[in-house]
Amino acid sequence: MTKTYVAAQTVEEAVRALSQTGATIFAGGTDLMPRWFRNLVPKPTAVVDIKGVEQLRSIKLADGDVSVGACVLMSELETHSIIRAAAPILAEAAARIACPQIRNRATVGGNLCNASPAADAAVPLLLLDAVLDVASSGSKGLATREIPIAEFFRGPGSTALRPGEVLTCIRFKPLPTGSFCAWDKFGTRPAMEIAVASVGVVLHRVEGRVVGARVAYGSVAPIPLRGHQAESALIGRLLSDEVVDLCVTAARKEISPITDVRASEGYRREIVGVLLRRMLENAAGF
Amino acid sequence: MIKTAVDAGAGSITGRKTGKKTLIGGRIPKLDAPEKVAGLTRYLEDIKLPRMLYGKILFADRPHARIVGIDTAAAKAMHGVRAVLTTADIELVPFGFGGDNTALKTGKVTCIRDEVAAVAADTPEIAAAAILVIKVIYEDLPAVTSPEEALADGAPVIHKKTPDNVPFRFDYLHGDIEQGIRESDVIVEDTYTLQRAAHCCLGRAGIIARFEADGRLTLHSLTQVPFSYKHDLSRIVGVPPEKIRVLQPPIGGAFGSKLDIHPFEPICIFLARATGRPVQIVFTREEEFLATPTRQPMVIHLKSGARKDGTFTFRDVRMTLDNGGRTSWGATTPWISMRTFSSLYRVPHVRQHVDVVYTNNIYACAFRGYGNPQATFALESQIDQLADRLGMDPLEIRLKNAQEPGETTGQGMVLGTCGLAECLKTAARNAGWDVKHSPLRKTLVRDALVRDSNTLVRDSNLAPARVCGMGMASLFHVGGGAKIQRSDGCGTMLKIDDFGGVTVQTGASEIGQGSETVIAQIVAEELGLPVSNIRVLNSDSDFKPWDVGVHASRTTFIAGNSAQRAAREARGKLMEGAGRHLHRNPDELDLADGNVTDRATGEPLESIGKIVRSMHFGGKHEMIMTSHFYEPPSEMPDQDHKGNVSACYAFGTHVAEVEVDLDTGVVRVLGISAAHDVGRVINRMGIEGQIEGGIAQGIGYALYEEVKVQGGRVLNPTFTDYKLVTTREVPELKIEFIETHDPAGPHGAKGVAEAPLVPVAPAIANAIFNATGVRITELPMTPERVLAKLREARKTLVRETLVRETLVRDSNLAPGRGGDIHG
Amino acid sequence: MRQVSDTIDVAFTVNGETVHLSVSPDTSLVDALRDDLELTGTKQGCGEGECGACSVLLNGKVVNSCLVLAVECAGAEVLTIEGLGRMGKLHPLQDAFVQNGAVQCGFCTPGMVMAAYALLQENPSPSEADVRRALEGNLCRCTGYRKIIDAVMAAANGGPRHD
Repeated sequence: MTKTYVAAQTVEEAVRALSQTGATIFAGGTDLMPRWFRNLVPKPTAVVDIKGVEQLRSIKLADGDVSVGACVLMSELETHSIIRAAAPILAEAAARIACPQIRNRATVGGNLCNASPAADAAVPLLLLDAVLDVASSGSKGLATREIPIAEFFRGPGSTALRPGEVLTCIRFKPLPTGSFCAWDKFGTRPAMEIAVASVGVVLHRVEGRVVGARVAYGSVAPIPLRGHQAESALIGRLLSDEVVDLCVTAARKEISPITDVRASEGYRREIVGVLLRRMLENAAGF
Repeated sequence: MIKTAVDAGAGSITGRKTGKKTLIGGRIPKLDAPEKVAGLTRYLEDIKLPRMLYGKILFADRPHARIVGIDTAAAKAMHGVRAVLTTADIELVPFGFGGDNTALKTGKVTCIRDEVAAVAADTPEIAAAAILVIKVIYEDLPAVTSPEEALADGAPVIHKKTPDNVPFRFDYLHGDIEQGIRESDVIVEDTYTLQRAAHCCLGRAGIIARFEADGRLTLHSLTQVPFSYKHDLSRIVGVPPEKIRVLQPPIGGAFGSKLDIHPFEPICIFLARATGRPVQIVFTREEEFLATPTRQPMVIHLKSGARKDGTFTFRDVRMTLDNGGRTSWGATTPWISMRTFSSLYRVPHVRQHVDVVYTNNIYACAFRGYGNPQATFALESQIDQLADRLGMDPLEIRLKNAQEPGETTGQGMVLGTCGLAECLKTAARNAGWDVKHSPLRKTLVRDALVRDSNTLVRDSNLAPARVCGMGMASLFHVGGGAKIQRSDGCGTMLKIDDFGGVTVQTGASEIGQGSETVIAQIVAEELGLPVSNIRVLNSDSDFKPWDVGVHASRTTFIAGNSAQRAAREARGKLMEGAGRHLHRNPDELDLADGNVTDRATGEPLESIGKIVRSMHFGGKHEMIMTSHFYEPPSEMPDQDHKGNVSACYAFGTHVAEVEVDLDTGVVRVLGISAAHDVGRVINRMGIEGQIEGGIAQGIGYALYEEVKVQGGRVLNPTFTDYKLVTTREVPELKIEFIETHDPAGPHGAKGVAEAPLVPVAPAIANAIFNATGVRITELPMTPERVLAKLREARKTLVRETLVRETLVRDSNLAPGRGGDIHG
Repeated sequence: MRQVSDTIDVAFTVNGETVHLSVSPDTSLVDALRDDLELTGTKQGCGEGECGACSVLLNGKVVNSCLVLAVECAGAEVLTIEGLGRMGKLHPLQDAFVQNGAVQCGFCTPGMVMAAYALLQENPSPSEADVRRALEGNLCRCTGYRKIIDAVMAAANGGPRHD
């Protein structure tokens, strides 16, 4: 039974309220509320609503860094000019989350902190090598630290956040002009889809040769995952059929999907390969 | 897009022959639509009665177990809990089609949804919390989770009175199968597997029960069959049927799900009795998935033959139904599947054997189509398999065997009107069948699926990522009711008031399908009044006359005929009164636009209201109140399941065009062309809505929907993982109505409600075959399943060492890299 | 910082009227609307944001009211189906639903209308694809959506009917 509701106006207020026993950060509520409703998790005794914290609501481009507040909505990511220019794959992923009703509530921070292997924002942010700013209550006011996104996810529903920490901001560098980027997710139905698998690719090429590559996957491992093996298969090479084959083989090897109600392990491996192959073939055509 | 020449405003059209304005065939907005769009309609969950309590049920949550003990002390002690019931507190009367169900379960539970205890409390939250503290001690028994297990030697017995776990068997025969086999030039045999699908009514199941001071029981119920409901409930709860009043609030969808009495209904009544207060139970969505029955999962083994010229020779059907742990009316769905096997096409020899098998799975009930979608999937898939073997066009083989008007089928059904051939031709023509259904395509694609025999990758030089194909399927369904009880009738009571307003009390129930609008339209047509003058009352068993219920696509036909006859009688009285008042021969008068008119000139002579008043205040001092009970001219099937069960029969054909992604197995429906023999269109807007909605449900059944059950447990009790079709998946639709004007129907109309769902899945399966050469025999046709079949087919081909180059060279369809094959 | 216990007093605007409620911190907006304010036009189909039947506008944006806490709405503006039009004076979008046969059982209708209304507020001339996308979170089991899409297109084009 939830007894307390705190509408924090500042990060300080939020972390202070979070230090109460049984308190939970509440942002969009789109993941939390259905779980409360179905009694899958107990309701917290206190809810700390951080949507009123102004600094968590902004998208900024400063000193060459894009910073996205943790409470920025998916519908804002989808349409914001900075995001569309600097990270179109993030805008695309946001646009493909659920439906307008959810996109108007779900926050990017919530999507990450919920730590679903299927979190749609995670794959683009892995590709962007984002850094996450977290805050907690310190001895001299607010204590902050950075967590690279690659170290953020620990398992389904589990993150590197320590008790009392709040994710405040997500920072990344814009994708360089001329780079190729793609993100796609696969579900069994076009609408309202939870990814059976998702894949993203960012490539930097000089005269056709791949000099930088990032690959990431969703829904095919306990956490959203960077594809280091697939990346290695590409670096220094031209995107020939053979290289694409090698990359796809590497990808299928480095993921560890499970069989669940949505798809089998084998099919997920299959789909990751298809999505990746299609992206690379598309890139080869540019 | 459906085009129509109908006048938008009045919803009326001008008859071609008579020149008289008619409402029949017009586009009439649903009478209840304004209230619904305004958000003012009060559904069951919107009703709150003074001092009403909230009921909640404890489900077993284990598939097969002995109940050792139940401790309700903690629940009873909770603040706000007003009653806690177990089997110790109520009299247990068996009910359900198999007599194997009770409100609460005693002794043992046979599926996870078995009801074990119930609570009534001041708030839904307290009730939910109280359920959690009821302690039940179980001793688990080995669970039987498939019919194969249930039929195996030494299988655990689920219900003592059925030691072989087969509570029902159905056998049907016409002709002689051995002779049919001898007459066949080709024989095809296959097994088709059909899943559990959920109704997914947007309004969740529920009920309110209250006892009146005089001991009468009033129910706010979602039942589709109010009168048999009273009868059956009476036995279960010990209230005489004449003391039960059933109020039917507007309902958030039914589709057959409310045909049975469900245990939550008597449970709620027992809670109301125990507390002396009104009690409401409304399921959560999760409970809706877990504890309301589904469509029957079936395995159908079908063998059929044809002569070289395509003439069908025989069909031999073996069906196994997973009945689950209890039996509902759904166990009788073989009655309906039988009709499709025996009578959709002319076939001289048909045999069917059905085993209904107990398991410890959740159970099934009626669902739009009632066994027909399953049968039609098997049959229409196999017809394409026969056509493929014979090298015939699927349209041609169907036309060759299509039923014709005047035929009496092997099962004894008399087809007075039959538009099947016309449906086949029309749906095919509208879909562009001649151009888009290419028999060449499949071989090409199938052949190009892999680069070599070792790597399972499509060779993009040989086949594009996505290929298109087209397939068709037809359907047969009752269109004039279904006489499965001694009466298949419906009563109407009609009154014309002093001001020209008409109240029609119909036995028929509105479940969102628009029956009250159709009834109003039929009455308005007869009485020359605008539809807005007609008020249809249909939601109170104390007022409304008897009706079997809303099922079997029967309401427009049966209730429509009943209403038309009552209105006709009222018209006679009105004309008589008008004749007297106007000093004219009634034969010279007519009714139009709310007036009595001169039949010859059309000139309005007097308002209908004034005529009624003249009859009321003068003359014989009479009121215009009529009634009619319509009993259709159909017969109950005999013990061999033969007989003319319906007053007429509905036919239809759907042609689906699909695109298949060869790498992922994703099937996208690009378009569906549907042609339905509906007898006559009454409300064009309503019937289009029925067809469109049925197609969407059919696409869901074909591609997405499945209640996944493993070890007796439901894996996906949410809309997150039970996928319905959304706005994104509905394809382009072309719908055409074949009007065969059945003489038995009101204005020639037949029922159509269930029909449009029925042929969708096989049409899509046949289109996938046309696109890829791969035959999918299991629903839903998920990407994973389709891809697996594509792979399997390739492996077979590799073994058969097909010469790929020759085929590709010979075909002028060789596509460019990345392009699509379109015919 | 606002902090309260057990029940909280909250004031917000619903359909232009200010309402004062005392709700538990975990009460959802849909429950507050339906139970406390008796605005039962907003339907609850699933309670987990998957069906859209409880769609309302919160500060001009369409949301699932089952996924909003009532306490969050302090100072907010909520628009429900009852605020869009009323009997005898339906909003043109509601009228388009009636005239195009977009209503069958009607349970999804209020949410569907609200989602469509939100779309037309942002994009008065949507394409059919826009409409399909805007309504993808609203399930309907009866109509097959065709006539719902037609109704929204008709309303966007200023006419009651889409032929």
